[in-house]
Amino acid sequence: MLFRPGVFVAATMLCLPASAEETVRISGWGGSEVAIVNGLLTNVVAEKLAKEGIRVKYEPVDGDYSQIIINGLSAGTAPDLFYVDTFWARSVFSAGQAAPVTSDVSGFAANLLTAFTYDGKLYSTPKDFNTLAIHFNKDIFDDAGVDYPSNDDTWTTLQEKLVAVHKSLPEVDGLCVVPEYARFGAFALSTGWSPFDTRGKTILDERFRRAFGFYTGLVKSGAAVMAADAGHSWTGGCLASERAAVAIEGAWILSALRDSAPNMNLGTVRMPKDPESGKRGNIVFSVGWSVNAASKVSKAAAKVAELLTTEEAQQWVLEQGLALPSRTSLTDNPWLRGGEPEQIASRVVLEGLSDDHVTPYFFGDVGGSWMQPINAALNSVILGEEDANKALQSAQSAFDRMLAR
Amino acid sequence: MSRTRSEERSGWLFVLPFTISMMLFFVFAIVRTAYYSFTDFDLFEAPSFVGMSNYTALVSDELFLLALRNTIGFSLIVTTTQTVLALALAVLVNHAVRARGLVRTVFYLPSIMSSAAMTLIFLWLFQRNGFMTAIVSVMLAYRQHILLFLVGMAALHGALVLNARRSYEGVSIFDPFFLLVAAVGALALAVSCALAGLLSVFDNNLPISWLNTQRHFLFMPVTLWSVALMNVFTTVPTLMLLFLAGLQSIPSSLYDAAEVDGANAFQRFRHITVPALRPVTFAVVTMGVIGTLQMFDQVAILGDAAPLASRVTLAYYVYENAFPEGASSRIGMASAAALVLGILTITAVYVQKSLGVKEKGE
Repeated sequence: MLFRPGVFVAATMLCLPASAEETVRISGWGGSEVAIVNGLLTNVVAEKLAKEGIRVKYEPVDGDYSQIIINGLSAGTAPDLFYVDTFWARSVFSAGQAAPVTSDVSGFAANLLTAFTYDGKLYSTPKDFNTLAIHFNKDIFDDAGVDYPSNDDTWTTLQEKLVAVHKSLPEVDGLCVVPEYARFGAFALSTGWSPFDTRGKTILDERFRRAFGFYTGLVKSGAAVMAADAGHSWTGGCLASERAAVAIEGAWILSALRDSAPNMNLGTVRMPKDPESGKRGNIVFSVGWSVNAASKVSKAAAKVAELLTTEEAQQWVLEQGLALPSRTSLTDNPWLRGGEPEQIASRVVLEGLSDDHVTPYFFGDVGGSWMQPINAALNSVILGEEDANKALQSAQSAFDRMLAR
Repeated sequence: MSRTRSEERSGWLFVLPFTISMMLFFVFAIVRTAYYSFTDFDLFEAPSFVGMSNYTALVSDELFLLALRNTIGFSLIVTTTQTVLALALAVLVNHAVRARGLVRTVFYLPSIMSSAAMTLIFLWLFQRNGFMTAIVSVMLAYRQHILLFLVGMAALHGALVLNARRSYEGVSIFDPFFLLVAAVGALALAVSCALAGLLSVFDNNLPISWLNTQRHFLFMPVTLWSVALMNVFTTVPTLMLLFLAGLQSIPSSLYDAAEVDGANAFQRFRHITVPALRPVTFAVVTMGVIGTLQMFDQVAILGDAAPLASRVTLAYYVYENAFPEGASSRIGMASAAALVLGILTITAVYVQKSLGVKEKGE
C-alpha cells in the first residue's frame, strides 16, 4: 500500500480544545496497521484522550520502519511514541532511546514482557503478537481425499499428508518452503535445541541436524516446493494462489487472504510435534509501544500507550479480526471461541504462545546476521548445491567466528 | 584591472551555489566520514576514538573481503562489456538509414525505466523456472540444430561473398543481402536435417538458479553475473547515446579520404573512429567505473531473493553496517568501508586515466 501522508495526517488528527492540550506524535507501520491504529484512535480512545487533554498526531511509515525510527532518534526528530519490534528492540533499548514503562503491566503475557525487557527494565508495552501455525485449504485436502492436518500431527504425519496431496493432485504442492530460520526455527526448537547455549554460543547439535534434515528433505520427498520456484516469496502466497495446500505463517496471513482469497475454505492447526521429543516449538513475533526517552511530552505519550493497549482497546482490535491481544485476560474472549476460520486461526496462533519451546524472534546483540549461516545452509541444501554435512560445517564455522568477536 | 576583478567576482558568484553544495554535501561529509572511521559510534553514544581498529577489523572480516572481490569483479566485467556494447550499438544506430529515430528510441527505452522496476522485472525473468532458464533449456535441447545453423550460415555466407568478389571488387563481408540469403539457407538446412531425423533433441529439465544460489562462475558469484547482465541492459543505451553524439561529430571527410586511400571498413573504424572517440570513451569508462564500484540499488532490491554472500558489494556492505538488521549501528565500520570504497573509486579512475583510455582525441 502506498503511503499518502496528507490523507493519513488529515484523517488522524484528533482535535481538542486548544487551551490545555498536549500533542503527541505517534508512529507505526503502514499497510493494514493504519486501519488498526486509526480505528483505535477514533472508535475506542478518542473520548479518553479528550479527557486527558491529549491530541494525537499519527504518522504511519511504509518502508524500512526500524531504519526510519533509528535515524529519527539519532537526529532528534523521532515521534514521541513508536512501535518497537522484538527483533530490533535491543538496539533502541541499549542506546537509552526508550523510556521505561511505568504503568501496570500485570495483565500482559509474561513471555511478551520478557521479550521487551532489557537490563531488568521493561521498555515497551506489548501491543500484539503472533506465532506460527499450519494454515491449510480444506477444499484441496477434500479434492485429494487426504485427511486434514490436525493438532496431533507430528512432522512425519504432516509430511505424509503433504506427499499424499501432491500425489493425488500433481499440480498442487503440499507446502511452499522458504530457506529461512523464521519458519524452519519452529522445527529446530521443537527438538529442544536452543539458539544460544548457556555460554552464549550457537551449537548446531544432533537435534538441530535432525530438524534440518527433515526441513530440507521436504522438497526431495515431494511434500514441498521452494516458494521461489512457485513464483512466490512467502508460504502464504502459495496458499492464496492455491499452488500449495498448506502455509506456515502467523495470523498476519488472514489479512492477505482476506484480499487475495476471500472465499478460501481455511483451516488452521498448531505446529506439528517433533516425533522423537513429542514437543512443539514456536517463534513469537511481537511489537510494542515505546515512549521516546527524549520526548517533551513523555507522560502524555505513556498515557497514549496505556490507552492503546487497555483491555477495551485490545478487545476491539481482536473483534475486528485485526491482531491478537497481548493481555492474558482476553484469552477467554467469546470471539476467540467462535467457529469462523479467522476466529479459529486467531485462537490457534494464541495457543502457540504456550507451546513447549517458544523463543522470541530476537538474536541478542548479533541481530539478524545471526540467521545468515542457517539461511545459507538451508538454501544450499534445498537447492542441492551442498550436502547437509558440509553446509552445517560451514554454518558452524560461521557461528564460531561471529560469536567469538 | 577593475574589469578583470569584476569578471573574477562574477565567476566566483556563478560557482558559489555549487561550491556551497560541494562543501556541505561532499567535503563536510568526507571529513566527518573520515573522523567516524577512527571511532566506535552507534549513532547515539558520543563517538569514542579507537584508532585503526575499524580498518584492521575490516581486513579480517570475511564479508568485507568478499564484498571487495565482488565489487572489483563486477566493475571489471560490467564496465568492459557495457563500453564495448555501447560503442557497437552506436555504430549500428549511426549507420541506420531508415527509421533512425525509432531505432534510437527503442534502444534507449531500458534506460528511462526506473532501476527498481527493471530489477523487479529481472527478478521475474531470473526465476529458476523462468524465462532465462527456458531460453537456456531450449538452446541446450537444440544445440545440434543451432550449431548446424551457425556453421551452415558461415559456410554459405563465405561462399556467396567469395563468389561475388570474383566478379566485383569491394564486396563487404557484412553485405546484408548475402547475410539474409545465408541465414535463410542455413535455416532450411537445419529444418531439413531435423525433419529427416538426423539431429537429436536433448532432454534437460533442470531449473537453473540465477539469483538464489551460492555457486560461482569464474571469479564471481552467479548471482552477481545475473545482476551484471541486468546492469548492462539498463546502462548500455545511455552510454550508446554518448558514443552516438561523438560519432556524429567526426567529419565525414576523414572517412572519404580513407576510403579513397583504400582503407576497408575495419581499418576506418580502427584508425578514425576509435581515436576520434577517445574523449567520449574516457567519459564512458569513467562513468562506468564509478557507477559499478558503487553498485547498491539492484543488490538491495534483490534482498532475500539471493544469499548475502552472493550479492554483497562494498556499497551494500557499508549499508549493512550502518543499518544492521536487528542490531546497533556500526557507523565506524561503515565509515571505514565507505572510505575504502571512495579511495578505490578514485584509484580506479586514476589508473584508467593513466594507463588506459586517454582524455584527448587524436
